[in-house]
Amino acid sequence: MEELGEIIQEFLVESHENLDQLDRDLVALEQDPGSREMLSSIFRTIHTIKGTSGFLAFHRLETLTHAGESLLSRLRDGVQQMNPSSADALLRMVDVVRVLLSAIEETGGEGEVDVEPVIAMVTACIEDPAAPAPAPAAPAAEAEPASVAEPEVEAAPEEAPAAPVAEAPAAPAPPAAPAAEEPAGQHGARRSVADSSIRVDVDLLDALMRLVGELVLTRNQIMRGVGVVADPTLTRTTQRLNLITTELQESVMKTRMQPIEHIWSKLPRVVRDLSSTCGKRVRLVMEGKETELDRSLLEAVKDPLTHLVRNAVDHGVESPEERAAGGKNPEGTLTLRAYHEGGHVIVEIADDGGGIDPDRVARTALDRGVATREQLARMDNREIISLVFQPGFSTAKAVTNVSGRGVGMDVVKTNIEQIGGAVDVESTVGAGTTWRLTIPLTLAIIQALTVACGEECYAIPQVGVDELVFVDSQSGQEIEHVSGAPVYRLRGKLLPLVRLDETLGLPAGSSDRDVYIVVLQADGRRFGLVVDRVLNTEEIVVKPLTGRLKDVGAYAGATILGDGKVALILDTPSLARRSHLAAEAVERAELEMGGAEQELGRIERLLITGIGERRVAIPLGMVTRLEEFAVDRIERVGHREVVQYRSQILPVVRLSALLGTYDVEPEGETVPAVVYTERGRSVALIVQDIVDIVEDRIDTRSDLDDDGLTGSTVIQQRVTELLDVRRAIMAADPNFYTEMPDTMVGA
Amino acid sequence: MPSRQYATFEVADQLFGVDVSQVQEVLRFSEYTRVPLAPTSIGGLFNLRGQVIAAVDLRVQLGLPGRDLGESAMNVIVSVDEEWVSLLVDRIGEVIELGDDAFEPPPDTMGSAYRNLIIGTFKLENRLMLALDARRAIEITKPEESRLADAV
Repeated sequence: MEELGEIIQEFLVESHENLDQLDRDLVALEQDPGSREMLSSIFRTIHTIKGTSGFLAFHRLETLTHAGESLLSRLRDGVQQMNPSSADALLRMVDVVRVLLSAIEETGGEGEVDVEPVIAMVTACIEDPAAPAPAPAAPAAEAEPASVAEPEVEAAPEEAPAAPVAEAPAAPAPPAAPAAEEPAGQHGARRSVADSSIRVDVDLLDALMRLVGELVLTRNQIMRGVGVVADPTLTRTTQRLNLITTELQESVMKTRMQPIEHIWSKLPRVVRDLSSTCGKRVRLVMEGKETELDRSLLEAVKDPLTHLVRNAVDHGVESPEERAAGGKNPEGTLTLRAYHEGGHVIVEIADDGGGIDPDRVARTALDRGVATREQLARMDNREIISLVFQPGFSTAKAVTNVSGRGVGMDVVKTNIEQIGGAVDVESTVGAGTTWRLTIPLTLAIIQALTVACGEECYAIPQVGVDELVFVDSQSGQEIEHVSGAPVYRLRGKLLPLVRLDETLGLPAGSSDRDVYIVVLQADGRRFGLVVDRVLNTEEIVVKPLTGRLKDVGAYAGATILGDGKVALILDTPSLARRSHLAAEAVERAELEMGGAEQELGRIERLLITGIGERRVAIPLGMVTRLEEFAVDRIERVGHREVVQYRSQILPVVRLSALLGTYDVEPEGETVPAVVYTERGRSVALIVQDIVDIVEDRIDTRSDLDDDGLTGSTVIQQRVTELLDVRRAIMAADPNFYTEMPDTMVGA
Repeated sequence: MPSRQYATFEVADQLFGVDVSQVQEVLRFSEYTRVPLAPTSIGGLFNLRGQVIAAVDLRVQLGLPGRDLGESAMNVIVSVDEEWVSLLVDRIGEVIELGDDAFEPPPDTMGSAYRNLIIGTFKLENRLMLALDARRAIEITKPEESRLADAV
């Protein structure tokens, strides 16, 4: 009995592998219905399952696969052509085989699974091949009388149930032989790869990994010690030890690696089923499926990846009609791309669909209380789109029966962050969306930044680190305070800071001068961690913390550094949560500062102009007149442009050039211009469109990095940039404000 | 007559003993990594042949002021539930074999901090040995929430 149990186990493992292959083959077959190689391969797989199930007395499984095999043999022999209904029938069969297999796995028997409907479905495809496929009707009809009986004759006697079991891998060859020689060779090669490999218990691999981790640490310590001793022989031996350890580490890591194909293999089926349900046409392209990942990570990435793929098909790619209307190929393309980059594996899920509309995201975020109007006003489009990762964002529209299984993007993000990864999204309206998962190669050894705070060293996982900033007191840089919370002005933006010493309750460092700021991105926030010194970037072996210390919450684990000392690994998301007070202070401060400098909350009348895709607002007080200038009246004087206007020479500046939107060329014979006159002098600001004049309460402004703007705000639900009019005027006429009034009197 | 072996050590001039089968090893160590925000009974972490071991300050567990980890301390490493934890002690004593007849439950007059950590007492020739319950000795109360709040 024990032995039989083992045989069943083997059978289950092998069948599951075969079924994954089958799913892929069937979908590929639909693209290339004539492929005999594919058909032969599928036939062999089903045949193997049938044979073994007969031997093990799983009769329902046997009957079901027998029916599938009959259909397949006809397809393989060209008696009948593959069409959508036979593909559906076969895929359904694969599903039910799976259900049966899980029943066997759980209960040891086939349970109550009803196979009759599927058998009927499969048989229907055999008996009536002419109806669903009018094109190949002729050959089918011709073969009809004979073929009904034929498959049974062919399949049944030849495959006495017991026979294939004894030599399962070899047995499938004979039935395939007449089909094609080449594929047999091809599959022969794959089988032989299987022959040269063995199954190893994952626990053993884990144990190996742990041991190698110890070895790496010991090696690091020896390397340090050798430097002190300075014995040439010892140094040479140590270098050798170093090399061997590194190689061993890589090899052991490789044993745990599996190509990402393992989790991708189910996706063609997912995409196929889903796109037909949604009435969409989606082509799935996979690049880099041989990219390898640690198996435990692979497991952890599976669900988020599937979710993102479903989401892309459901929400990303538009319907064929919509695509055609937009001048796109009616068939959308979903690209899965995996590659290595700097010690991480990047997995991209890119669609060429409609993209994510930041305005819509902003509205939804506002409706759901995910972000406030003030916060939105300070965000750029990228940050707004990232709001989809916030808990509670998931839109009502998203919860269809397809991608909405109660799972939002926040769950995707949480799952990926749990394994020390990161996820971000890039999207262009009309052009598509790319989700990017950054995944560490392995959980056990990670890239980390080591920093010092007081007398202790801490490790920060590299994945969350954006950049390092040295606060150089010599050049006048300093940490500022708003409402008592520390902030740093990083390229014009206020970065909320968290002091590591303070957060950890350590005695405060001597000063804020000449410290380092580690700019971190975690938990949807960007913040700076103030540390005394930055030491190194190194590979560290993550040691779990005893349960007693996990409760503290600030640490993700511990590691042993090269000097043999234990260092704590900081948990960046929990530090991020601790940064919220500083972040709120920054928000308040930005409002207050905005108030002081930009007349907070005053109702302003604004002229909204369009510059390319952007909306730029000009205070109406800075608008004297609106004009239309004929394009050919704009002349060049030196490197400036001017226009003759009311017997004056009017300096002109194109806002598109000033704001760096060079690609916007004015269309038509005239261009709209905003003329500003002060003390008899005038300048003209050329815009692309005059959109509107609005009265708005300018209470939400954010500093942008761009030159020529004072910030941005949300007007009529759209992010609108506020023009720095003085700057624009100076760009047109550098002497506008400096010339003596009396010289202008005459002008 | 059944008897047991106890590894003995001193903390604050009191003799303690733990069942020798629970003791992995005894060593002197001087470099500890502090764990900020952790309960004070966690003296620190150290590296024992590649394993990160948490050292529990028995003085704190007994309600006494904590140890200064600047100086080296003796570690009695006990294995509880397959996890290795170090007990920081003052001095190491001998391994002694004691018959169960010398065992008595902890006296009622004993302070609760002590009484919570021990199984019972053994009367030796000229002094008293307290048999330590290793599991309870390494039990750490949750980190103080107030400290977390302060730090934010």
